[in-house]
Amino acid sequence: MIVTTVVGSYPRPDWFREYLRKVAGLQKDLDVEIDIDVLRRAISEVIDEQKRAGIDIPTDGQLIWHDFLLTIASRLEGFEMNGLVRYFDNNLYYRIPIVKGRIRRVKRILHDFEVAFEIESKIKAVLSFYTLTKLSRNEFYGSYEDMLWDLCDAMREEIRHLESIGVKYIQIDEPSILYAEKRELEFLRDLFKELTDVKSETILMTYFDSAERIFPEVLDFGFDTIGLDFVEGYEENLKIVEEFSFEGINVGIFDGRNTKMEDLNEIRERLERIISIGNFNRFYVSPNTGLEFLPRIKAYEKMRLVSSLKEVFE
Amino acid sequence: MKTTVVGSYPKPKWLLRIVKMYKDGEVDEEFLEEAYRDSVKSVVKDHEIAGVDIIWDGEMRREEMTSYFAERIEGFEIYGEVRVWGNAYYPKPSIVGELRYRDELALKDFLYLKGITDREIKVPITGAYTIVDWSFNEYYKTKEDAVYSLAEVLNREFRELVKVGARYIQIDEPAIPTHPDEIEIAKNAVEIMVKGVNAYVGIHMCYGNYRAIFPDVLDFKVDQIDFEFANRKFEDLKILKEYDYDKDLGFGCIDVHSRRIESVDEVKNAIRMALEIVDPDRLYVDPDCGMKLLPRDVAFEKLKVMVKAVEELKEELDI
Repeated sequence: MIVTTVVGSYPRPDWFREYLRKVAGLQKDLDVEIDIDVLRRAISEVIDEQKRAGIDIPTDGQLIWHDFLLTIASRLEGFEMNGLVRYFDNNLYYRIPIVKGRIRRVKRILHDFEVAFEIESKIKAVLSFYTLTKLSRNEFYGSYEDMLWDLCDAMREEIRHLESIGVKYIQIDEPSILYAEKRELEFLRDLFKELTDVKSETILMTYFDSAERIFPEVLDFGFDTIGLDFVEGYEENLKIVEEFSFEGINVGIFDGRNTKMEDLNEIRERLERIISIGNFNRFYVSPNTGLEFLPRIKAYEKMRLVSSLKEVFE
Repeated sequence: MKTTVVGSYPKPKWLLRIVKMYKDGEVDEEFLEEAYRDSVKSVVKDHEIAGVDIIWDGEMRREEMTSYFAERIEGFEIYGEVRVWGNAYYPKPSIVGELRYRDELALKDFLYLKGITDREIKVPITGAYTIVDWSFNEYYKTKEDAVYSLAEVLNREFRELVKVGARYIQIDEPAIPTHPDEIEIAKNAVEIMVKGVNAYVGIHMCYGNYRAIFPDVLDFKVDQIDFEFANRKFEDLKILKEYDYDKDLGFGCIDVHSRRIESVDEVKNAIRMALEIVDPDRLYVDPDCGMKLLPRDVAFEKLKVMVKAVEELKEELDI
């Protein structure tokens, strides 16, 4: 059975953008602190929009995340934010986090997710680990491995906390892992195993590229589900499905970075190939990336398209 | 050795207020038009007083540099805004059909400016590669196809501009250094854009890693390349030296991301470094980029310093 989901980010409602502009300006060094009732209203609007579009497992839309790294980094001890840097090949920029001291979790990281979780319990929490270290600049640790272990400890605490409050789905976004070297992947196995050793379903989400370089190593990381980008790497990722066996897959097959609406017949053919050669217990379909790359009306249309697949398959 | 600007200049506060009033339906189009024309006059006056040799109208009508043109070209549609960083957004156009020439892009602005100043004029327009890179592509099979189609549209505008007397065109392509792997596409696009355009053509590039576009960029069919140097403490001049830079040089020597006003001496020193690479008659001294994000008085002061530095140097070098 096909389960529809999204990757994470969602365009902010206009009124919420205006509100943030008033309270925080265009950009702040640190995390945005805002009125919890306003946040709740914005998140419930976005959750509602995803459900109305037919998304089975929504996210909180990462609405107060000024960028993908800042939110996590600024809620941890040890990071400071610096100038804007291009985020992969997107016309989107993030503040580069600089590691200035020992990384520690001193408070909850996903407190905004927890607001969403109170509204809707069938929802995915989204974190990142390795990618955060790759896109940061280390000015503190003598060895990169030490930095990874400290961040791993912080993330594990957060993930354990999420597990304890009953979060069913925990997703870790790792676009940078697609470029990790082989020997690094072996080392990462021990770290990721620490993060995936929970009762919640854990999902590794990759995007912006194909994932052939991380197989087979990634199969030992302990994830229940692996997300692959079939927009940027259909042929390569198809080969992965052919060659390796794993139980849970997230098929990112709708282009989250283009307003063009895909032809459903083409998507169906592609999905049928993936289904026919793989042997999956869990089969998620989603856009390949977060939806914040699209204007809001197109993000909604994209989700409608994702969910209309279910009718096509029934 | 002439002084010029890259393009944009801070909008007068009263203009911003009137634009908002227009959007809120409080004033009509005629009212807004008058405000645009008056703001161009005041900005031009700033440039004239500062003593800039080659000027533009400060881009009073442009709110940004992609959708302003997309709105005037057949084949684009704008569905809404997307984030570029933090809480900053821009209207990102989608290409939904064949790109074709529809409305003029800078022709009217050029003619108006020509009527109110005796200074030389430069007409900056965002290039085909950058507009496509900053748009969604729903229609063309490849990015390359879209870029070339748009290049044809811009080529027509450039030729129209030349017909009415434009002598200096600047293609703004900040996206090129962000995708060095696509430099061939950008180069071909420039060739299409300048085909049959009988004018002096410059290309402006900011951001990104310049090293990655050398030496390929030297083959671009333009008279001048304009780079930002001040923002990177003039370190990139090394790259030009290494590759025997042989085009006219647009020399960005005023930092537009900093409110600190440069001293005349530091600008003079910077220009001396540029003169080690090109002769004075091939050097165009300007700020790093458009000045629109600076407070207006700071922008004005910076221009004055820039012009003064050039004047003093000319005297010292007797040119």
